[in-house]
Amino acid sequence: MNALFSLSTTTKSRLVGAVFIIFLLIAWEVAVDLKWLKIYKFPPPSKCWEAFVELFTSGFPIEQTVDIHIGWTLWRIVQGYVLGCLLAVPLGVVIGSYSLLDKLTAPIITFGRSVAALSLLPLVIFWFGTGEAPKIAIIAYGTFWAMIAHTIAGVKFVDPLLIRAARTLEADQKFIFLHVVIPAALPRIFVGARVALGVAFMVIVGAEMIGTIQGLGALINEARNFYRADITLIGMALIGLLGLGISGVLQLLERILLPWNKGLEEVRR
Amino acid sequence: MNTQENSSKLNDTALGLIGVIALFAIWEIVSYTGIISQEIFPSPSQAVTATLTTMPLSEIGGHVWASLTRVFWGFLIGGSLGIIVGVASGWYAWVGVLTRPLIELTRPIPPLAWIPMAIIWLGLGEPSKIFVISLGAFFPVVTSAYKGMISVDPVLLRAAQTMGLKGWRILFQVALPASLPDLATGIRIGWGLSFGMLVAAELVAANEGMGFMIMHARELGQVGIIIFGIVLIGVVNLVTDYAIGVVIRRQIGKWHTY
Amino acid sequence: MSKGLVRAKGGIVENIDHKLNSKPENMQKVSHNSVKISVENVSKIYQVADAEDVPVLKDVNIDIRNNEFVSLVGRSGCGKTTLLNILAGLVPPSSGIVRIDGTTVTGPGDGKGMVFQQHALFPWLTTIENVAFGCKSKGMRKADRTEIAMDLVKLVGLDGYQNHYPRELSGGMQQRVAIARALALDPEILLMDEPFGALDEMTRLEMQDELLRIWEVRKKTVVFVTHSLTEALVLSDRIFLMGRNPGGIRREFSVPFSRPRHRSSVEFLEMYEDIWAGL
Ligand SMILES: Nc1ncnc2c1ncn2[C@@H]1O[C@H](COP(=O)(O)OP(=O)(O)OP(=O)(O)O)[C@@H](O)[C@H]1O
Ligand SMILES: [Mg+2]
Repeated sequence: MNALFSLSTTTKSRLVGAVFIIFLLIAWEVAVDLKWLKIYKFPPPSKCWEAFVELFTSGFPIEQTVDIHIGWTLWRIVQGYVLGCLLAVPLGVVIGSYSLLDKLTAPIITFGRSVAALSLLPLVIFWFGTGEAPKIAIIAYGTFWAMIAHTIAGVKFVDPLLIRAARTLEADQKFIFLHVVIPAALPRIFVGARVALGVAFMVIVGAEMIGTIQGLGALINEARNFYRADITLIGMALIGLLGLGISGVLQLLERILLPWNKGLEEVRR
Repeated sequence: MNTQENSSKLNDTALGLIGVIALFAIWEIVSYTGIISQEIFPSPSQAVTATLTTMPLSEIGGHVWASLTRVFWGFLIGGSLGIIVGVASGWYAWVGVLTRPLIELTRPIPPLAWIPMAIIWLGLGEPSKIFVISLGAFFPVVTSAYKGMISVDPVLLRAAQTMGLKGWRILFQVALPASLPDLATGIRIGWGLSFGMLVAAELVAANEGMGFMIMHARELGQVGIIIFGIVLIGVVNLVTDYAIGVVIRRQIGKWHTY
Repeated sequence: MSKGLVRAKGGIVENIDHKLNSKPENMQKVSHNSVKISVENVSKIYQVADAEDVPVLKDVNIDIRNNEFVSLVGRSGCGKTTLLNILAGLVPPSSGIVRIDGTTVTGPGDGKGMVFQQHALFPWLTTIENVAFGCKSKGMRKADRTEIAMDLVKLVGLDGYQNHYPRELSGGMQQRVAIARALALDPEILLMDEPFGALDEMTRLEMQDELLRIWEVRKKTVVFVTHSLTEALVLSDRIFLMGRNPGGIRREFSVPFSRPRHRSSVEFLEMYEDIWAGL
């Protein structure tokens, strides 16, 4: 007990938070035991643990183990994301460099961003059927608009003082573009990369609910069809963890690629 | 100087308009050249005529209205809960200690991933849709409200104290107004997410609303309606978001650069 | 309460004129006898989460008389703000007590106005709303509080700026709003934490004159924190020099000159030199 008092306040409050969560889980378990909550709607932690084991061993639907689901989800995100970035970044750099182009396209880009990527689902299914192509296409779509908006802003809002400084050092246009404008735009582009990843992650879960049994989105939806709420919950937890993992990787990448940019404020979603 | 500013703004708008018109024109022309079959990718004019001939305006209006009421209720519920929880957890340390870990643990799960669970809990009807829409609003709002509260400059609270204010009056007259700019950002993001959730929820299961309209059109193979519907969804999102922006700017724009 | 107020026209030029024309003899304060604020053995130790305790003030003892103008002078970090916060009742002392009119201070409010180091204006309120804030919280009717606030806005020379938001004012103007706001509840005690710290030299001099004028009109006990010895010499009846590690009062000086004081007079400069020499 004495040891508890000597802990710092932040550790203490975390501890209290953790205890509270454990308390909730136990209460949940008890409530199901006493039949206050229906087990098929509110599977208690013990049941979820069984589902977790089942997912890892026999898989759900049968044979589709968790690594297959995660693998597919990741693979789709990577394809759509890379495609979206490859289209958006060069285009964004061009648009951002010419103010006329920027003014011509500004409303289009605002509009493109406000079209919910998922609303394209019926269209891409109509075009490509229910295979891989529509899923990748709408991930690419979502990625594209988030990326292009941030790339344009990054290039457009480079501090004019930096450019003037470079001019006084007798750098030519091309050199300034490559060695001043692009590096100065990179932090914003990285913010776009993070935002786009959030969008992609959101979209994939929706896209996988249609026409496949592989992938985390498919997993939670299939489980729902079979009234396996326990599997759905585990699937949701996995989605959350995967999301955290990916954004962690992106942050690491940013720190490695832009070591000078430590101070940039974190922008989420 | 002011007129110059105005005229350059006008110029920008004109250029933007030209861009939009050019885009539609190119789309229209490409469609007529037949490079892409019009059955697959109709021109804007075809999409509009296809929609208006199969659907009376009142029906389209009905879908828009159904979607708007849905997203309004979901946003209202999720947003108010977010404000209450976020403000309480910033103001009372113990509420923060209990709720922050729960929220931080559930926040990385995209609201979309709650759809199956919402259906298990609440069925395929209206409540499950409202639920997932409210989740879209809840997380950004609760996070920004909390952030706003904990980053209120303590010196403002002290200033209020020296003028004799105590307890709730400091909360309502100082802490809340001071956290409004943060809150506004969260509300704006929350509206966007709510809208995304609306479309998703209506795609999964609905019998009215803009999401239903395009999903239904897909089943009937009416690609013109799909395209019209997608643009319609975008426009409604854009207009409502703009309206919220105007309201926010009117409220706090006077004293804060928003 | 705003009735007997001298309406300043707001122009700084007028103030300087006023200073040049006025005779020094009638400026001396009379009622210096009764103790208004007494600080008894006050110490403060900050407890910081996950770190060692920070001793900031040790055994501070001061008596401040009614209507006296005293200054606290000292290097950055010697605990001036902390002491002022303790006087205001915003921060409780770790040991010792502060009494005002013989009653122990337990909390903020109650006739203790404060001007903060970082002006601390409410950014969502206009000048007049900021000044009227305290009156509003006391439940005063709108017409009454607006009248009081408007008088104060004029007093600090901001007539015409009453509907501006803080971000639309310059640093010096913001400080004046903060002073007006602290005066709105007509507190008997005015605690001022480097109120002119962020100002340029010109504005600073003008504000010093203006503060003295307000003080003379409104009869208040003022505790004024500053880095500047000159400023303290110009303004105060007594000066307390504070030191660091641990923070506390090291020396005390009475300033014998009548007001207005001339910064370049021989006596003034001599006193300045004396105090410096003693540091
Ligand atoms: N809330 C706090 N928690 C911990 N330490 C504090 C706190 N407030 C002040 N201190 C410490 O107490 C010391 C005195 O601070 P204080 O603000 O009173 O100094 P000051 O004399 O007003 O300085 P300045 O002239 O820079 O305003 C400093 O070392 C500071 O770090
Ligand atoms: Mg200080």
